[in-house]
Amino acid sequence: MNLQDFIAMEESRERDELIDLRSLDLVSEYDSHLMCPICHCPFVAPVRLQCDHVFCGSCLSSAINTFRSADSDEFPCPSCRNPTQKVSASVPRLLINMCDEIRVRCPLITEGCQEIIPRGHVQSHVEKYCGYRLLPCPDNSCDQMTRSKDVGMDQKCIHKARRCAHCEEDVLEHEYEEHEKELCPVLEVTCADCETVVTRRALQEHIESCPEVAIPCSASKYACPAKIRRADIAAHEQSCPIVAMGPYFEAQDARLKSLESSMRHLQQRNEIFEDGLANLRSTLVESTRLGASSHGSGQPTQSGREQQSSARVDVHTDDPADLSASVFSSNATTYLLSLHESLREEVSQLSHAITDLDARASMAIMNECMRIKEDIAHTNAAVNSVRMQVQWLMNPRLHQGTRGGAVRPNSTESEGTRTTMASSAAGPSHAAGQSLGPPSAQTPQ
Amino acid sequence: MGSIKRISKELTELTESPPEGITVELADESNVYEWKVIMEGPEGSPYYNGKFLVKLSLPTEYPFKPPTVSFATKIYHPNVTNDEKGSMCLGMLRADEWKPSSKIAAVLQFARQLLSEPMPDDAVEGRIAEQYKTDRGRYEEVAREWTRKHAS
Repeated sequence: MNLQDFIAMEESRERDELIDLRSLDLVSEYDSHLMCPICHCPFVAPVRLQCDHVFCGSCLSSAINTFRSADSDEFPCPSCRNPTQKVSASVPRLLINMCDEIRVRCPLITEGCQEIIPRGHVQSHVEKYCGYRLLPCPDNSCDQMTRSKDVGMDQKCIHKARRCAHCEEDVLEHEYEEHEKELCPVLEVTCADCETVVTRRALQEHIESCPEVAIPCSASKYACPAKIRRADIAAHEQSCPIVAMGPYFEAQDARLKSLESSMRHLQQRNEIFEDGLANLRSTLVESTRLGASSHGSGQPTQSGREQQSSARVDVHTDDPADLSASVFSSNATTYLLSLHESLREEVSQLSHAITDLDARASMAIMNECMRIKEDIAHTNAAVNSVRMQVQWLMNPRLHQGTRGGAVRPNSTESEGTRTTMASSAAGPSHAAGQSLGPPSAQTPQ
Repeated sequence: MGSIKRISKELTELTESPPEGITVELADESNVYEWKVIMEGPEGSPYYNGKFLVKLSLPTEYPFKPPTVSFATKIYHPNVTNDEKGSMCLGMLRADEWKPSSKIAAVLQFARQLLSEPMPDDAVEGRIAEQYKTDRGRYEEVAREWTRKHAS
């Protein structure tokens, strides 16, 4: 049949199923091949797919509803994922019989039915034979339920109260018989030890005072094995050595208890101390390790010494007895060493700073020198031009002073000087404006 | 309704005869869909001696939809995400590979098997998978360290 028909069939069938076969309490083991892979119970109304995989009908229908994409006419088999279109209701009779054979408890075990029946018969058992099925009370005015076995032939309500003729208590009709025979407190019973006849109500009281009942010696908690009739127990306790020892035992007991509690207290304190010690030790080891790694590279002797000290700490951690002493001494050394190290670092920082300053100062001096040199050159040039001008101004006077003597050669010389002067006359302003004139070109000699 | 019956059946089986190294209980007695699983690291793996809390949550459509497995305890493993979710990548738990016939016991055993034999080709943590393939020694060292730190 195709999927639509199958789902419709399953839905109609689910409605008339009365008993949930999956929640039954299985008594016997069953073959794992009979287990539905979806609900993990023995098959209930199994069906088969094209790939020969078998499932409960209801499990398969919910699987189809989950896996089938909307309105497609196929779905993957939940076991092998083969695409499947047809479901076959014909499963081997053998398989169904094996599932029906599995022994289960009657589901009405909650009401008291102890029957164990094959699973195939559960439905009919509950419907027809089980005496514990709850039925509405035959009396229409009573709204309680009655077990089917209690209904009986006469069809009367069992929930009416009936007064007991002996003890005047109200008892339900269906419990009356049991009450009258066994439970009524007015019934007379015989004490098992002294054979006195008492009522049920007084029995407990009687047992507590009955002289024939054997009771343990009052020192039984300190291992007196005696268990004697109540009548004779006083005599026994007078002679029992353990009873005499009783007070002493009690005192010892109390002492032990107080010792135990103080010991527990001490243990707790000890644990706290140990924790603290472990904490101290770990921080110590960590700090030495840190110190060694940060200063190790620069100072070979230093790091060697530090490694020694940390090694010493490591060695001593195994020996708690002299741990504290070594911790203190190594602590002090480490402290001094680290102080030393930090001072050394500071010194080196200072020397760095000094070199730096030195370099900067010399740089500044050099710069200053250059500028001064330039200025000097300028001044030189200016002085030169001034000298030239002075010479040029002085020249005519010198000529006047020497006229009369050697005129001829002088005139040629003054010619030459004049040309020089002319070039120099333009020169001074030039040279003063120029930053660095070639001084050799303007020096007169 | 069917799912609750099957889940409680599997839970009873798992608590009565638990597989090696796996203990199962409900995270909350009134909710059968959330399980708390204690998984012991398998012997011979770097997770040995570790106790990992694994959360297994079942969908209401179980067994038609797969359960999800996540590690609440941090674990250094190529197939478990290294975040607060700790979700585990299991091939059989992917929606298109899940079969209703698979049992939770099988899922848990498979997850534990994955602890001893990670699948670096199916990894969610690429870096760890790379390390697992190229530098096995270092991987085991870190995994052991994490196990000691988080799972003991």
